[in-house]
Amino acid sequence: MNLNTLAWRNLWRHKRRTLITASSIAFGVLLAVTFTGAGDYFYTRMIDAGANMGMGHITIAAPDFNRAPSSKKYLQRTEQLQQQLMQLDGIKSSMARIQGQAMFASAHKSIGGMFFAVDPEQENAENNLFIKAMVEGKMPVTASDKTIVLGVDLARKLKLTMGKKVVYTTTDKQGDIVSAIARVGGLFQTGSNEIDSAVALLPLHSVQKVLSYQQDEVSVIAVILHDQRHSHQLRDEMKKMNSFAHTEVLNWQQTQPDLAGMIAVDKSSNYISQLLIALLVAAGILNTMLMSVLERKREFGVMMALGLSPQSLFALVMLESFWLAVLGLIIGTIVTIPWYLFMSQTGIDLSAAYGDGFSFGGVLLDTVFKIRLFEESITAILIGLFTLSLCAGAYPAWRAGRVPPVESLKTI
Amino acid sequence: MEQTIVELKHLSKIYQQGELELKAVNDVSLTISKGDFAALCGPSGSGKTSILNLIGGLDEPTSGEVWLDKTELASLSKSELAEVRKNRIGFVFQSYNLIPVMTAYENAAFVLELQGVDKQTQQQRVMQTLADVGLAGLERRRPDEMSGGQQQRVAIARAIVTNPAIVLADEPTANVDSHTAEALLDLMQKLNEQQGITFLFSTHDQHVIDRAKRIIQVHDGKIAGDDVRV
Repeated sequence: MNLNTLAWRNLWRHKRRTLITASSIAFGVLLAVTFTGAGDYFYTRMIDAGANMGMGHITIAAPDFNRAPSSKKYLQRTEQLQQQLMQLDGIKSSMARIQGQAMFASAHKSIGGMFFAVDPEQENAENNLFIKAMVEGKMPVTASDKTIVLGVDLARKLKLTMGKKVVYTTTDKQGDIVSAIARVGGLFQTGSNEIDSAVALLPLHSVQKVLSYQQDEVSVIAVILHDQRHSHQLRDEMKKMNSFAHTEVLNWQQTQPDLAGMIAVDKSSNYISQLLIALLVAAGILNTMLMSVLERKREFGVMMALGLSPQSLFALVMLESFWLAVLGLIIGTIVTIPWYLFMSQTGIDLSAAYGDGFSFGGVLLDTVFKIRLFEESITAILIGLFTLSLCAGAYPAWRAGRVPPVESLKTI
Repeated sequence: MEQTIVELKHLSKIYQQGELELKAVNDVSLTISKGDFAALCGPSGSGKTSILNLIGGLDEPTSGEVWLDKTELASLSKSELAEVRKNRIGFVFQSYNLIPVMTAYENAAFVLELQGVDKQTQQQRVMQTLADVGLAGLERRRPDEMSGGQQQRVAIARAIVTNPAIVLADEPTANVDSHTAEALLDLMQKLNEQQGITFLFSTHDQHVIDRAKRIIQVHDGKIAGDDVRV
C-alpha cells in the first residue's frame, strides 16, 4: 500500500471528525465565495456606476483639466481621437463631453451647479446614468437642440416644470462670461440628493456654440470599458499612443479618488474578515491533524521502526491534510454552487431597508444584494484554502516526523 | 566460522531523570551470530529492552558502539538508520502493533512497499510468508478481525518477509495465552531452523527461555550470563 492510499484510509478512521473538519473547510469556501463575490459584484457596480456618471473608466482630457477644470482647457480633433480609441481591445464605447460649472436661473431663483454637455447619438441608458434615471420627458433629440435635462431637485428649487425656460451662465474658452437659454425637456432622478439638486444635461453642439468651441472640441472623452479591471493597462496603452501625447489620460482611480479610497478601505476590511475566517478554518484543521498525530504516536513509532523515514512520515501526514483539503473543497464546491447561482441571478432584495437605492462613495447603487466572482477570485479562493489546509497540516506533520521512534514506541 | 550479525562494544545508555542518572545499559559487549535463536532474559527494568532498542537503531547509545553487519549505527543519519531498519532488521512487538487500516496482506507487505519491491514480487513473497506463518486464506482480514495469536503471526510475517539479517522480538508472547505462545514459538523456531533467520528475544516468559538456544542474562544493565545450549 502506498502512502497516498494509507493517508486516505487514515482519514476515515474517525469519519465524524473528518467530516466535521471537511465541513469547516466547505463552510470556509461558502463564506469566501460570499464575501469575495459580494466584493467583486459591489465594487464593479460602484466603479461602473461611477464611470457612467460622467468621467468613464478612463478619462481623456486636456492637461491639468482634472485638477483644475476650466473651459479654457479642451481637447481638439475629438473624432479622430475617438476613432483611435476604438482600435484598442477592451473599449466598449467613448463619449465626447463638455463638463463645467454653471449658474442656472429661472424666473424665481438662481442656483449654481454643474452641467454635462452630451451628444445624444453617443449616449444612452447603458453608458449614462442620468439617461437611465430619466423620470419625465426625454433626452435632447440632437446635439443641437435647445433643451435641458435637470435633476428633479434642481428643477424643484428653481420652480421649473417641463417646457419652462432656464438661463445658464458659464465661461467660454476665452474665459468670458456667456449665457444661453434652454427649455426643460426632461427630468432625471438618481435618488442622490447631491446629484439631483446640482446636475443638468445639455446638448453638446449647443454648448459648443455657447463656449465658442469648434465642433471637434470638447473638454473630456469618457471611455467605457468592457471590464473595469483593465483600466490601468488600457490607460497605459493609451498614454503610449502618439495621438494622446498632448492629453492627460487618467483612469477612474485618478478621476474619482474618493471612490477608489472607499473601495480600498472596504476591500481591506473584507480581506481582514476573510483572514479571520481562514484562521478559524486553519485552527480546525490544525486541531484535527494534531489530535490525529498525537493519538497515533505509537503507530508512527512502529512505522519508523519498520523503516519509514521521518521525511516519509511527514509526507504521510501532509497527504492526509491534502486529502482532507480536497474533500473539504469538493463538499464546499457542491454546497456553494447552488448558493452562488441563486445569489448571482436573483440575489437578496434589501429595498425594505434601503429604499430604491443608496449612495456609496458618491455613487448610486441599487438595493439588490448580489454576488459575482471573477475567474481569478475563484482560483484565489480554491488555491488559498487548499494552501491554508496544507499549511495547517504542516506543523502536525513536522511533529510526527520529529519524534524519535523509541519515544513513540516506549518499548519495541 | 560463524558470521557475526550484531556486535556491541562497551555499550552504555544512561537516561537522565531530573538530577538522577539511570544506567539502563552498562558497558555491554556482546555478539549475535547468524542463525542465533537467543533470548535476553532478566527481570523488568534490567535493561533488555534498552539493548534491543539500541541494536534496532531506535535509540542512541550514550557511549560504546553498535555494529550491524559491519556498519556502525552511530555514524548514520536518521534517514540512513531508517534504511538499515527497513532492509536489515525485522521487528516483532509485544502488542503486535499492526497498522489498523491495513489488511493482513497489506501489513505484511508494508516494508516491501517501503523497499520499492515490485507488486508481483511482493505478492509472491507475502502470500508465501503468510502461508508459512499459517495465515493462508486470512490475507484480507484487518487486525480487528483477527485473534491476538493471528495478529502476532502477521507481525512475524511482516518481520521476516524481507529476509532481514536479524529479527528483534520484544516479549512476543506476553499478550497471548500459553497455547498460542507455544504455537508462535514453534513457528519462530521453524523459521530459524529451516530458513536460518536470526532471532533475538527480550523476554521473561519461561516458554521462550525454554526454547531459546542461547540465554543471555541481563541484570542491572549488565550481561550477567551467556549460555549456549547444545
